[in-house]
Amino acid sequence: MNKPQLDIQLGPDGKLVVKVSGVSGEECTKLADMVKEIVGIEDSRTLTDEHYGGVRILSESKEQTQVKASRFSGL
Amino acid sequence: MSSVCVLTPIVVGSWPMIAAAVASAASSMGFTLSIPVEAESLSVKSRQKAVVDIDNSAVAEAGIELQQTITMYQGGLEIQVKQDARGALSVCVIGESHSKGELEAIGKQVSGRIVQQFAYHKLMTELRTRGFDIVDQSVSQDQSIQVRVRMNS
Repeated sequence: MNKPQLDIQLGPDGKLVVKVSGVSGEECTKLADMVKEIVGIEDSRTLTDEHYGGVRILSESKEQTQVKASRFSGL
Repeated sequence: MSSVCVLTPIVVGSWPMIAAAVASAASSMGFTLSIPVEAESLSVKSRQKAVVDIDNSAVAEAGIELQQTITMYQGGLEIQVKQDARGALSVCVIGESHSKGELEAIGKQVSGRIVQQFAYHKLMTELRTRGFDIVDQSVSQDQSIQVRVRMNS
């Protein structure tokens, strides 16, 4: 089983991009929320689903948005 | 399923935490740090000056009223990272041979690097306490930092 992993890129302008992998569904959301809590303001979040072979944007937000998305979102 | 988040750090910490981030940024940009100086040294009339605020920043020290400053130097530039009366941080760039626009651009670069260093140290410290280990780390030519961390249990 994969372990939860974070790939973090800190730009020279201070912006952060964090990719959470190795976990799915609610665990993934929890980890993303944890990083947001440590760092500060969330500009956007993109959930990707490799099962569908592409990237789906489920929610985008400015400032401290809670994203609640399930693996099967009815699509 | 995975997720990708874009985040803007909030720079809130004690003065020593912020000073450490300033020192890291100064070192990575080739600046020389000096001991803190009094604010009066800013008012040299023949020099241009630009001030850039560090967004979402505050020094979190209860009851402190000192307006602390860290000064760094490089190639005729004097850069002061200052805490104002409300605790917010700004970068003041002073130079003789640069236009105001150039000084402002330098101030933005320094501000970005301070935020980067602050976020890096805060994130790594917190992630270690939550059971993550650094498995890979590199710095790109554009000074972006890439870190891969993995849960150790």
